[in-house]
Amino acid sequence: MNGSRCRRRRAKAAAHAIALLLLAIATGAVCACRRSADPAQGISVEESIAPQPVRSGDETVTLRLADAARHPVAEAHVQIEADMNHPGMAPLFSNAVETTPGSYRTPLTFTMGGDWVVLAHITLADGRRIERQWDVKGVESR
Amino acid sequence: MTKAPTALSRSQKEGGLLDGEEFPEARPFDLLDVPVLDRLLGWRHARTLLQIPLLAVSIVMIVQGLFGPTLSPKNLATVLTWVHFRGALVLAILCAGNLFCLACPFMLVRNGMRRWVRPRFAWPRRLRNKWIPAALFVLVLFCYELFGLWSSPWLTAWVIVGYFAAALIVDGLFTHATFCKYVCPIGQFNFIASTASPLEVAVREPEVCDSCGTKDCILGRRSASSQLVVLQRGCELALFQPAKVGNMDCTFCLDCVHACPHDNVGILSRLPAGELMSDPPRSGIGRFSRRNDIAALAVVFCFGALMNAFGMVSPVYAVEGWLERMLHVNNQATALGILFTVVIVIEPVLLLGLASWITRAWAGVKSGWLAIAVRYAYALSPLGFGMWLAHYGFHFLTGLYTIVPVTQNAFASIGWPILGEPRWTLVGLPITVVEPIEFGFLLLGLTGSLLVAWRLAQDDSEQHPLRAFAPWGVLCLVLFACCAWLMTQPMDMRATMMAG
Repeated sequence: MNGSRCRRRRAKAAAHAIALLLLAIATGAVCACRRSADPAQGISVEESIAPQPVRSGDETVTLRLADAARHPVAEAHVQIEADMNHPGMAPLFSNAVETTPGSYRTPLTFTMGGDWVVLAHITLADGRRIERQWDVKGVESR
Repeated sequence: MTKAPTALSRSQKEGGLLDGEEFPEARPFDLLDVPVLDRLLGWRHARTLLQIPLLAVSIVMIVQGLFGPTLSPKNLATVLTWVHFRGALVLAILCAGNLFCLACPFMLVRNGMRRWVRPRFAWPRRLRNKWIPAALFVLVLFCYELFGLWSSPWLTAWVIVGYFAAALIVDGLFTHATFCKYVCPIGQFNFIASTASPLEVAVREPEVCDSCGTKDCILGRRSASSQLVVLQRGCELALFQPAKVGNMDCTFCLDCVHACPHDNVGILSRLPAGELMSDPPRSGIGRFSRRNDIAALAVVFCFGALMNAFGMVSPVYAVEGWLERMLHVNNQATALGILFTVVIVIEPVLLLGLASWITRAWAGVKSGWLAIAVRYAYALSPLGFGMWLAHYGFHFLTGLYTIVPVTQNAFASIGWPILGEPRWTLVGLPITVVEPIEFGFLLLGLTGSLLVAWRLAQDDSEQHPLRAFAPWGVLCLVLFACCAWLMTQPMDMRATMMAG
């Protein structure tokens, strides 16, 4: 009798422990979903990619940086990184060149079709760093 | 306790090419004879020792998946799950055996739970088959494509959590290894794939078992003072060693190795896929030819390999788009569902049905078409395994080193950059090196399938073995051509739901 009561108590404790574990994971997951976005630091970043539609092979990425007063932000260092959405693929890296004040351009060679994520790692002249990320979905295979 | 001399196991004698009488000196290699490994694997807690690192990695993957980088190539959950784990799993099966099930972290948690919770129910008799896990296997493949699981660390983490939860719930309620045998889709994948493995947990000397009166390998050992105290578990998957044939349903848990009082169970070498070349009664399974459910699992395993690879190349989007236009549906789930139904259900039924009908009509095999289809369905599993190897091996080898920068990044992100700055340029082997390996895997699979089909045909029709073999040989060649075509297609990986 005592044994079965003890077993029941243990089972209850184990069930509570599992429920708590799942609850903790669920709470963490919800918190993870609500991560706040990186503040823009008053700099607007406008990105474009050409030619369209985007195909595997050579493309050109252009970034235009402007401050809050819409003045071009010059002399920044812009590194472009492109990742496939599947893990295990080689990321692409390229340094953009400033073609006109506030406008940065770099060729990017998409090595395969599919969904890509492009990241811009921007270092402003005053040392501030900005990260931007955007999706390039459905790059067509040639 | 003396170790029994290594000789041919029952499955090796019945499994096909080897003949114990013709080659009396043939002594299979025994992994448990290897110095260090014998002591390690012979230790009662060997499995736990192997499970602990995998459990730790699983927890890291869950935490990284939920809280780490949202970009799939930079998150440990996605990189480890979809690049390294899958690749290492199939390569381990090819080179040794079902090592993932041996080190399964889900079972470690489940074993811990069972210290406190005793399952009270027996798995319903009607469900003691592979229909549910076969359906779950297809469901996993479908969800993988539909939700683009590879591209979402968050979803990947939840898949792992879901696995732990499912193992705990099922094995918390039902006795024995119900989850492994009747539910786990990864387990079923491993069971079918490991029929092509070179190693098998088997009896060293069958004669020793003949004189054994305890049957500890299946019953386990209990305390002399109380029958309720289990000193050593026997096989939880109902595989009685003296009658066990092959790797089907064997998790390599080593319970039988540790339970045998005569030290008569080893991990023996054997002819890969040899167990598919004959149809003896198998402990815990019965004859393969009478198990439509396992045959269906083998078919799903083979055609699922094609579907899974097809989902990663350009033509799949053209086909999906065409289906959407034809059927006037604006829903990718529907188009994908139709594609899955065609590739994994309709196509196999038509192809296997046709091959069976030709075998029956042309070679004069007396059985019905379904019985023939079931018998030869197992011949497709080596080819299916070849395709899984080619596919998963590709991602594994081309992304081999990506684990380095992702781990560096994980440490750096918690403010502890002990491994240095992430070297994102570390990727893997070049495609020019990996491609020939892929085709090698495919050819290996094709060879295995043709050999199995040929042996079955020889048994089925002594007068016209070639006629019995021809339709299955052609089917294997057609499937091989499909696999080879898929491998030459440009990769095009889109997360369909995300593409919107």
